[in-house]
Amino acid sequence: MLKLAGALLLVAAGALLGWMHAGRLAERPAQIRRLVRLLSQLETDIAYGLTPLPEAFGRIGRQATEPLASLFRTAAVRLERDGMAAPEAWRAALDSVWELTAMKNAEKEIMLSLGNTLGATDRDDQVRHLRLAVKQLESLEPEAAEEQRRYEKMWKSLGLLGGALVAVILY
Amino acid sequence: MPESVLRLLPAAVAAALSRLPRDVLGGLEEIRIREGRPLEIVTAQGSRFVSASGGLLADPVGAYRPTRDDCARLLDRISNHSLYALEEELRRGYITVRGGHRIGLAGRAVLERGAVRHLRDVTCFNVRIAREVPGAAAPVLPYLIDPDSGAVRHALIVSPPGCGKTTLLRDLACQISRGPATARRRWPGRRVGIVDERSELAACAGGVPGFDVGPRTDVLDACPKAEGMMMMIRSMSPEVLVVDEIGRPEDAAGLREAMLSGVRVLASAHGEGYADVAGKPVLGELVREKRFDRYVVLGRRAGGRQRIAVLDETGRPVAETEAGGSGGPKRPGTGVPPDAFAGRPGRRPEAGLPC
Repeated sequence: MLKLAGALLLVAAGALLGWMHAGRLAERPAQIRRLVRLLSQLETDIAYGLTPLPEAFGRIGRQATEPLASLFRTAAVRLERDGMAAPEAWRAALDSVWELTAMKNAEKEIMLSLGNTLGATDRDDQVRHLRLAVKQLESLEPEAAEEQRRYEKMWKSLGLLGGALVAVILY
Repeated sequence: MPESVLRLLPAAVAAALSRLPRDVLGGLEEIRIREGRPLEIVTAQGSRFVSASGGLLADPVGAYRPTRDDCARLLDRISNHSLYALEEELRRGYITVRGGHRIGLAGRAVLERGAVRHLRDVTCFNVRIAREVPGAAAPVLPYLIDPDSGAVRHALIVSPPGCGKTTLLRDLACQISRGPATARRRWPGRRVGIVDERSELAACAGGVPGFDVGPRTDVLDACPKAEGMMMMIRSMSPEVLVVDEIGRPEDAAGLREAMLSGVRVLASAHGEGYADVAGKPVLGELVREKRFDRYVVLGRRAGGRQRIAVLDETGRPVAETEAGGSGGPKRPGTGVPPDAFAGRPGRRPEAGLPC
């Protein structure tokens, strides 16, 4: 009886692992799309509102959903409270928050290089760099969607079957 | 040195400056930061260089030299991490930060159709520390108010840069707005309107003045002077209008219009003396037409003392006084009670409550 319960637990654990991995795959394109939207919002704040960076970050941080909200919130805090320069603050926020997102290193690199110019140039240049980052992110999105289509189901079944396999071997 | 300045400075510069003797820090007027060149400070005693350990040097050798990173950080902080929001300021070459401190900038100008569009590679900074000096206006106030009618006279304050025009104007606005001490009330406090194009006079943060500019004072912040003066007259019906640094022709034209609207005007302009302002193209016209009733000419400071001359509408001296020292008038003007000069900087003068 106890053996059976253990075996069931193993199957369930395997299935859960598979589901979680599949979930990350599904989240990635969605988060890229959300990030693109937030960057466009930042562009509007910079180009038309002339909103100072800490304030713009703060506002986006309040409106966005997690985990991207904490990226902007952390950056705002680093700027305002810790007195970091904009590129440093952006990098620090990326480093502390990126683990929580479903996005990969390619996206992080784009965001890091955006950080180098954030706030430090005139309006036209800010808009150029933000649009470039948006374009690069958008080019990653089909790839992420393709990955999701191909591997999401696979991970789900793999988790379940893997769990079952281990249970059978140990039984 | 005010906290508001210290937190803007890059760490190495702040560390060097904070080790300066206390009396030097207290009298700091300017901090000049130039990339790769010696760190300079200006006090009432003149210019000195500062070493990394906070030593005062007359000679640039051995002084701390701010690095490229220092300058980048400074620019990042004074722009509130948002250089894009300061295009107008960069075009004019200065940024006014919280606390009313003005930071002059020099670098490489970027042109668009022959006009300066903005600055890049900013490597020279001049941090001018704004200070409230309550009572700074006491020596000249009696000359700017008609003793019989109590009317405020049109006045122009003239001095070279860095001699305290803005400080004097701020205190004048404050004292005129507040009126004299109740016990010896000879004239009432006036409604004062300040058009503060560079946010230096009132140091507004979020629309609220950071300096005490008096209880009957309205401030139009960051507004171009020519347009702002008319806006102020239409919207706030001031009795006295205060504007800083009349320079462009349209400012002087606005000034003329304000004077013809029945408003009293206190303004300031750059120049060594009466002859300089009389020689300016548009402002000079106002001077030659004798539109101003009084000129206050501030001399350069030497050894902590400063000569202040008051001239009448034709440029003839009415009185000469000295600030920072004993203070007494050498030649009291007509109709001015001698006791009006009792005020000494640092002591509360009687001519008006210090704000």
